Amino acid sequence: MRMWEGIRLALQQIWAQKLKSFFSLVGVIIGITFLIAVITIVEGMNTYVREDFAGSLFGVNTFTVVRRAQIQTGRVDQAERRRQARNPDLLLRDVDVVVDAAPNALHVAYSADRSFGEARYGSNSRRNVRVIGGSPEYQLVQGWKIEDGRGLTPIDEQRGLKVAVIGSQIAERLFPTTSPIDNRVRVGGQRFRVIGVFEKQGGFIGNVRDASILIPFSTFNATLSRRRNGVDEISVKVEVEDLMEPTMAVVEGALRRNRGLRPTEENDFHLQTSNDLLSAWNTINTILLAAIPGLVSVSLVVGGIVIMNIMLLSVSDRTREIGLRKSLGAKRRDILFQFLTEASTLSMVGSLIGIAVGLGLADLVDRLSPLPATISVPWLVLAIVMGMGVGVTSGIYPAYRASKLDPIEALRSE
Amino acid sequence: MQNTNEAIITTHNLHKHYVMGAETVRALNGVDVEIRRNEYVAIMGPSGSGKSTLMNLIGCLDSPTEGEYVLNGQEVQVLDDDELARIRNREIGFVFQTFNLLPRATALHNVELPLIYAGVRSKERQRRASAALERVALGDRMDHKPNELSGGQRQRVAIARALVNDPSIVLADEPTGNLDSSTSEEIMDVFESLHAAGQTIIMVTHEFDIASHAQRVITLVDGKIASHNAEIPTFVGAAGHDFHIP
Repeated sequence: MRMWEGIRLALQQIWAQKLKSFFSLVGVIIGITFLIAVITIVEGMNTYVREDFAGSLFGVNTFTVVRRAQIQTGRVDQAERRRQARNPDLLLRDVDVVVDAAPNALHVAYSADRSFGEARYGSNSRRNVRVIGGSPEYQLVQGWKIEDGRGLTPIDEQRGLKVAVIGSQIAERLFPTTSPIDNRVRVGGQRFRVIGVFEKQGGFIGNVRDASILIPFSTFNATLSRRRNGVDEISVKVEVEDLMEPTMAVVEGALRRNRGLRPTEENDFHLQTSNDLLSAWNTINTILLAAIPGLVSVSLVVGGIVIMNIMLLSVSDRTREIGLRKSLGAKRRDILFQFLTEASTLSMVGSLIGIAVGLGLADLVDRLSPLPATISVPWLVLAIVMGMGVGVTSGIYPAYRASKLDPIEALRSE
Repeated sequence: MQNTNEAIITTHNLHKHYVMGAETVRALNGVDVEIRRNEYVAIMGPSGSGKSTLMNLIGCLDSPTEGEYVLNGQEVQVLDDDELARIRNREIGFVFQTFNLLPRATALHNVELPLIYAGVRSKERQRRASAALERVALGDRMDHKPNELSGGQRQRVAIARALVNDPSIVLADEPTGNLDSSTSEEIMDVFESLHAAGQTIIMVTHEFDIASHAQRVITLVDGKIASHNAEIPTFVGAAGHDFHIP
């Protein structure tokens, strides 16, 4: 009962002096806003990286054989980097080795790609496009869905047809008013008949798919390839996650045998999984989540000092009121409690404003960028607890001072 | 019914000394006072006579250096801070010269304050506070804040607050000091009707015409009782006429 009384009184004080209250709460508001906004964005990135990014970059339950590592985790020294740079190019015959080694794989896809300055249709053009020559399984392993028309088929591959499935951005740019299907796009001095359009991916890495043109590998190999029979990626998709490691082991063994590597020699190729990316991300993530509350604490300490100052002022402004309350029967602990409640309510209002502003900022990021902003309840609880903690801590001394006032002196004060 | 002749306040050899630097100021120097239930007593004295100190002791805002003080059968000089707070809450209703109302709270809430510290529940508090306001004829002003009330009305809110917890004594310190003479009369009428209803009232004042409303006038000089039943001069000067010791 008395707590509500205290909270009501505190809210009255805050409302009566809105501007002063706001300034005294700025520290707490900024601290909590920062905490919530950053945590929300980091958690959003987390979800994004785990669920969308890693999956769409590498496919689910998929590993990829590449010439050299694209993502490095931890420290990689110069020598290792130079060693990988000497790795031989992957070729079509490596694909055969992989296919033979992993007969149980769901799909084995291979691809090569090349970037071009622009793709054209009539007078419309799209700058910076990537042409991917992919085996028919490529779309399946990548999980790319067709929005319009059809995807590549084994027949396209066998016959080396000059057909293409294009990304949504290319479709929008080149064919703003007409349907792209059966029209011919020009890229790299070649013309390809559009047979389908990929579903729009949007987001961060949307550019990769949305600005890509997929053509049959055989066609790519015959027309646009820089190196005959050269392959950039061999992707292996397995049925369940448990099959990942054993399949990777046999593929690694088969490739080593094929290349005649001795046991002491390192691989001259690299097996890449989404775990490479996830572990790199996890390192960053862990550091961020540990560091943020620490950084926020600095701001909260400042906020706490301001609140303590305001509360000390409030105690001296209201000395007479304290004297009156004591004369009417308030005990020391009643006064102590009143001022503690007031300080906590003050900082609580600060943290609620901070949470609101923080969530607002995160929502803005959510709308304006591909990052999905998410927050889990424990962080909100942490924000509230930190805010409350600041209030209680910075309220203790002023409240103690108030409770110790002599009622006679206090009543006599102006 | 309680015996109306029973002493509600008894002090014996009450001393209060303040140490100021090297000097000891003897604000009260052996005061024996007895006030009976349902008495209406005025305490008078020039400034520095110790009447404020005596009022603080009677009001349990302070403890004596020496001597005994029995309030409503309870020895007060042995109590600690929290017990004194409880006595102030239950036994004493203060009325101050400057009203001392919370400016942002309504009349009703101001009157509720002592009940909050008595731990009375919200519903019951409101019922009792509004009854107290009715008693001082402010039943229609309950939701007004102090700055929406006249001086006399403010003091009546303060009186309602003093009465709300049904105290043994109402202790009024210059209750008309901030009021004009016609409003003063209005407040004195309130005190008289309270007294008529059985309330014990102790009033500190330096004005004869205010003191003349009391049944008995105790005068203090130099920290000692000068008279337990002083004569009020028959001529009554303008309000605020100072008390002089011949």
